[in-house]
Amino acid sequence: MNQLHQTARVGLFFLLGLALTWVTFETLSGGKLFRPEGYALVAGFESLKELKEGDEVRMAGVKIGVIEKTRLAGRRAEAVLRIDAGTKIASDATASIIMAGLIGTNYVGLDLGSATAAPLAPGSEIRTKVTPDINAIMTELSALGQKLEGALGTFGTSVNGDGKNPGLFQKLDQMVTTNSVRIDATMANLQAITGKLNRGEGTLGKLINDPTLHDELVAAVGEIQSTATQAKSFVADAQGILAQVKSGKGALGALVYDEAAAQDLKAAVANLRAVSDKLAKGEGTLGKLLHDDTLFTSAQSTLRKADRALDGMGDSGPISAVGIVATSLF
Amino acid sequence: MKAIITVFEGFGSTLQLLVQAASHLGSLPRQRARFIEQCYLIGYTTLPIVAILSFFIGSVLALQAGYSMQNFGAKQFIGSLVGLSMARELGPVMVAILLAGRVGSAITAELASMKVYQEVDALVTMNIPPARILVLPRLAAVLVMVPVLAIIADLVGWFGGAIVAKNVAFISIEPEAYFSVLRRYMKFQDVLNGLIKAETFGFVVVLVCCNIGLNTRGGPREIGAAVTRAVVASLILILVLDYFVTKALM
Repeated sequence: MNQLHQTARVGLFFLLGLALTWVTFETLSGGKLFRPEGYALVAGFESLKELKEGDEVRMAGVKIGVIEKTRLAGRRAEAVLRIDAGTKIASDATASIIMAGLIGTNYVGLDLGSATAAPLAPGSEIRTKVTPDINAIMTELSALGQKLEGALGTFGTSVNGDGKNPGLFQKLDQMVTTNSVRIDATMANLQAITGKLNRGEGTLGKLINDPTLHDELVAAVGEIQSTATQAKSFVADAQGILAQVKSGKGALGALVYDEAAAQDLKAAVANLRAVSDKLAKGEGTLGKLLHDDTLFTSAQSTLRKADRALDGMGDSGPISAVGIVATSLF
Repeated sequence: MKAIITVFEGFGSTLQLLVQAASHLGSLPRQRARFIEQCYLIGYTTLPIVAILSFFIGSVLALQAGYSMQNFGAKQFIGSLVGLSMARELGPVMVAILLAGRVGSAITAELASMKVYQEVDALVTMNIPPARILVLPRLAAVLVMVPVLAIIADLVGWFGGAIVAKNVAFISIEPEAYFSVLRRYMKFQDVLNGLIKAETFGFVVVLVCCNIGLNTRGGPREIGAAVTRAVVASLILILVLDYFVTKALM
């Protein structure tokens, strides 16, 4: 192999190495050798959790940038987000650290914000919100597990007893053992009752087994429905009447709502009372008729005389009837 | 005690050789032909074995990781495991070991032969420093070629792992997912650390092998002994340095 070929191969090999190094560099670092494109936003968090440089920034699930830098700034941690050029972030959009996997895979998720909000200027700070990480969730689950364990322990103690006091099952067992004779009798009675029901004996049995009763029951229900309809109609009529009364129409309405009618009624009642008082005192003709027996006696005598006169008229003929009546009467 | 003195003597002579070679750094442009030749021997001819071994190391790594990690549902992270392991540790160490076995032994054998057959003495007699024409081109060549070998080893190992991850039934991870996880959990800094480690190991291997070769005394039998000694010393130094360089780069 001559010198020229050897030199060419070494040169090619060296260039291959440089090219591979460059490809690796571009792949793993995103070509930071050049000035990065896009613009930066600052997101402050209480903790960046597992977030690290190079992690993705996503909006509505779409990658729009990367975490350029993480740093401590006073009492908080800051992540510098490198947002792709041309992507506008609304000023009311919120950033949060989202867990993409259980083993330390995080990214910063941005919501869309409102459509009318102005876009954030490069270098400005985006609003953030705290989301629970896996540790917080596990702590909550642990606390929940402890509570559940305590509740189940209490339930178990109440069911199985605590060694000194019998539990629910022991009490049930004791109760069943003590009342086994009664329970047997009760079960026998139940069996007899269900047997009768099955055979169609008794009212309930007939109700269950006899279709006639069923039909009658259906008819009764129909009648009840009809009655209810009528009652509804009656109530509607009554409401109409009541409405008329309230509006002052008709005699009852006038009586209830017309002041003049009420005054007339009062006066009539007062007159009636005065008449009844006179009657009670025996004043006037009707009062005397009620209280004085002589009038009754005279009337009775007069009627007897009239009766005799009528009898005489029947016997003498019509010509002398007037004379007889006059004689009888006077 | 004699062994300890020998070790210290070896360190001293190696450093002395390094200083001598560095003092002739200005002559490197005039030794372009030697430099190219050493680049060819150290880099180009070592590439096939580096590629083959890296492919299978990456494959085995993915296989073992998939077998272990399937028990706790983390096999989707095989990409990052293979990527980081190859870039930070296995790639550089494997390249250095291959250099020690293939290139280092050849360098030691060549220089020991020259020393035994008094070619080195002839150079010295002609006022040509051996460190200038025998050591400096090799050191320069290894500095240029080892990063290339290391990056190829990394990439081939990653692809080996990806092929195994896709085609082995109990792993079955698509290459997209494999490389996505690899990218997510790796930075170029990891690859750079590996290249620095490989550079360090390669430089030490060549320097030690040159020193042992140039300090060979005796007859032809000593040439074989020198080669063995050079390879063993190189392997030990690689693994010892690995810890300290890794710690320093963390």
